Amino acid sequence: MMLTELATRSTQVDETVRKAFAASLSSYPLSIVAVGGYGRSELFPYSDVDLLILTPGIDVPKLEREAIAAFLQSLWDSGLRLSQSVHTVEECLILHENNIELNTSLLDHRFLAGDSVLYARFSTKQPDFLKKNGPALARRIADLTRLRHSKFQGTIYHLEPDLKDAPGGLRDVHIVRWLAQLNGENEDGELQPAFALLSQLRLGLHTWSKRDNNILSFEAQDALTAESANYPSRFATPEELMREYYRQARVVFRAAIERVELAESRDTGLISQFRSWRSRLSTSEFTVSRERVLARSPQLLESDTGLVLRLFEFIGRHGLRLAADTERRLLCFEPSADIEFKWPNVESLLVLPKVSATLRSMNETHVLRKLLPEWASVECLVVRDFFHRYTVDEHTVVAIELLETLHDGRFQNLLEETGRTELLRAALILHDIGKGASHDFGEDHEVRSATIATRVLDRWEVEEPDRAVVLFLVENHLVLSGAMTKRDLADPATAHELAERVGTIENLKLLTLMTYADISAVAPASMSPWRLEQLWRAYLAVQDELTRDLEEQRIHSPGNRTPEEAAFLEGLPVRYARTHSEAQIQSHVQLARSAAETGAAIGLERIHSVWHVVAIARDRPFLFAPLAGAIASFGMNIVKAEAFSNSAGLAVDTFVFEDPHRTLELNPEEVARMRKTLLSVAGGKEDVRKLLAGRRPPAVGKKSRVEPRVLLKNDAVPSATLLEILAEDRPGLLHELASAISRAGCDIEVVLIDTEAHRALDVFYLKYGGNKLPEDLHDSLREELVLICAAAQV
Amino acid sequence: MKKIEAVIQPHKLEEVKEALKGIGIDGMTITEVRGHGRQKGHKEIYRGMEYQVDLLPKIKLELVIPAARLDETISTITKAARTGKIGDGKIFIFDVADAIRIRNDDRGPAAL
Repeated sequence: MMLTELATRSTQVDETVRKAFAASLSSYPLSIVAVGGYGRSELFPYSDVDLLILTPGIDVPKLEREAIAAFLQSLWDSGLRLSQSVHTVEECLILHENNIELNTSLLDHRFLAGDSVLYARFSTKQPDFLKKNGPALARRIADLTRLRHSKFQGTIYHLEPDLKDAPGGLRDVHIVRWLAQLNGENEDGELQPAFALLSQLRLGLHTWSKRDNNILSFEAQDALTAESANYPSRFATPEELMREYYRQARVVFRAAIERVELAESRDTGLISQFRSWRSRLSTSEFTVSRERVLARSPQLLESDTGLVLRLFEFIGRHGLRLAADTERRLLCFEPSADIEFKWPNVESLLVLPKVSATLRSMNETHVLRKLLPEWASVECLVVRDFFHRYTVDEHTVVAIELLETLHDGRFQNLLEETGRTELLRAALILHDIGKGASHDFGEDHEVRSATIATRVLDRWEVEEPDRAVVLFLVENHLVLSGAMTKRDLADPATAHELAERVGTIENLKLLTLMTYADISAVAPASMSPWRLEQLWRAYLAVQDELTRDLEEQRIHSPGNRTPEEAAFLEGLPVRYARTHSEAQIQSHVQLARSAAETGAAIGLERIHSVWHVVAIARDRPFLFAPLAGAIASFGMNIVKAEAFSNSAGLAVDTFVFEDPHRTLELNPEEVARMRKTLLSVAGGKEDVRKLLAGRRPPAVGKKSRVEPRVLLKNDAVPSATLLEILAEDRPGLLHELASAISRAGCDIEVVLIDTEAHRALDVFYLKYGGNKLPEDLHDSLREELVLICAAAQV
Repeated sequence: MKKIEAVIQPHKLEEVKEALKGIGIDGMTITEVRGHGRQKGHKEIYRGMEYQVDLLPKIKLELVIPAARLDETISTITKAARTGKIGDGKIFIFDVADAIRIRNDDRGPAAL
């Protein structure tokens, strides 16, 4: 019905044009041709009427020119919106590099009136012209299509899409037809349902807004839903209408991109060479052709969950996309009931460098919602809001994508330092999942998201403390953005309250990055320099507060504890309780008991891929440095370390280290030897210098990428001196730094060491004879520490 | 008619908007701006390195009101935006020659 309506309108306009021609132009040797949309007999109510006036020669006599003007005038007066051009047949048969639109409009032509012989000259010669210039024209069309798509961020998921120009819109339907025509093929009819829907919506939109308006605004979505009763596709709600729109636009967009890529592949330029180079990525299961992945056994994609997960892993590793055939197969995928989709599967996808490519493909093929049923409620979901530009699912994927292409140096460093991007990405996937849920789960979407996230994380069997981190991020994902605009960031009370809520510096870094991604993915320019600055200020304020907290916030009279537990916890920083699970605390209490008998106790265990050491001993000068040295003497790389002491003077030193040569894993007897060595070092019975004497010095000559920085501050915390060190990490560095500090006569009160991406970030709280470090010692200590940090820079 | 330009602390925006609404003024233009006055920015230390923060995030409000309401409006803004600390911001007042509502050519105070 729709297409008949468009054709009827064209026929009516044909009549008007013919009459006007008969009245003013019939005595001239001209030919009137309908081109463009009008040429296709697809005339929307307020669209331009594209007319070509063919003339026999370039010089048009004055009388004839006047007659043409009168003809056009009369058409304007009859209410048509004309878009006319006057050309000779020869002009119509050359490639107009600067006016490709003319060439494309001529791809659809229909004789209306005048000299039919002249028209025949054009229409019979055009096929030869297209045969010769087709590839060049196709490439130009492909370029323009890419440019147009980029204006819409290359996504179909706009909340208020442009029905004509947006990716997946009517223009893309034409692109598919034209490129097929230039390739000597017919478009195979796959787009017919999409074209019918898009036409229905555009026709409705023109009628409703009484002008050539193609933006499907929220208001228009309501109006068209109500109007849809009169059309073939009927919708009960605007959400239903939009979901159908995205479904069809996706089909169109996919077809358009396929055609564009085909046109580009005829190019011999650099890009196409790069693309064919990428085909070397092919494996025994998958082949890569022009950036698209095909399975060697495509039929297995419908049922083999393992293969499907490996396919998406392949995509996320190399940043590829699915071939059309692969997509069609995946649409039929049903996960096998016997394979469970658990956290190890999720994690192996989330650590991939281009996980956004994986998620986008999983979303478009509905695989995501088959593996994560809660996702279905946000698929193509339009939530009306003044600022958001994309549907909820697209917003989520864009947020994750933006973290992959982070440009701001400060935030990039944070990302490298967190080392737990998989938790951040899991939290981003879940952060808005409550937007599609019933309000019975809570009024605010972050509360609903957290409820759903709890269910998902339990099903995935995510262990603590990772589970708590993801939930924290989901539930608090609006806290920093709220503080940026509503709270006085210079007010200590703001920082204090936020620090209480965030708990640890690790959580703060993740939450800051999450906020960055969430705001940036609202709309293309939503992360303004203003907001970026505010977010950074919020981060700094809380970071400062959390660092200070180590000294000030101590555990006092912990509740619900046995006297032994309470005595152990009394006086440790609050951070200790926040960063250790109950099981860890219990094991430390036990170690403290045996340390009380023997002077020192050591715990050593492997958790995931790294080793954890906890040393509990009576606190004394030269305790931390020898322990660090002893670990280094086994050839281990320390990645994290903390040292605290409680009110009873018991030191709790923890180290996380990597075993680069898998010594401990492959030689179980080494674990026992290491435990014994650490025990005697902690008990002061072994000189670590002897242990280190046998070690080869670290390799020198590699230029350091990090300029060392050492900062000593007496006013940062009330009762100690704050020492911050930033340096290129190397084996044994921590031991050397800690030894130098101890040699200078300083007591190490608190230590927080973190190493990520070759950078060591060390925070020490120092005391000198029970007080802050005298100012006159600052320079000499700083100089010595800088020398140590720079030692690898030789 | 007078035009008021007020540069205020970002976190005071909601309060100022509410206060203005309370005296019947809800038309205004709001811009996120960065700048400094005597507050001159400050140094922040992060990772042992000092960052000079030259431009501080602020909010700029612009509104045009009938001259008779000037004092009342100014005192409403100052009261709501004041914390008493450096960086609270400034208010500038301009004379407005005329105002035109584009939709229907209303002029003068009728266009506000």
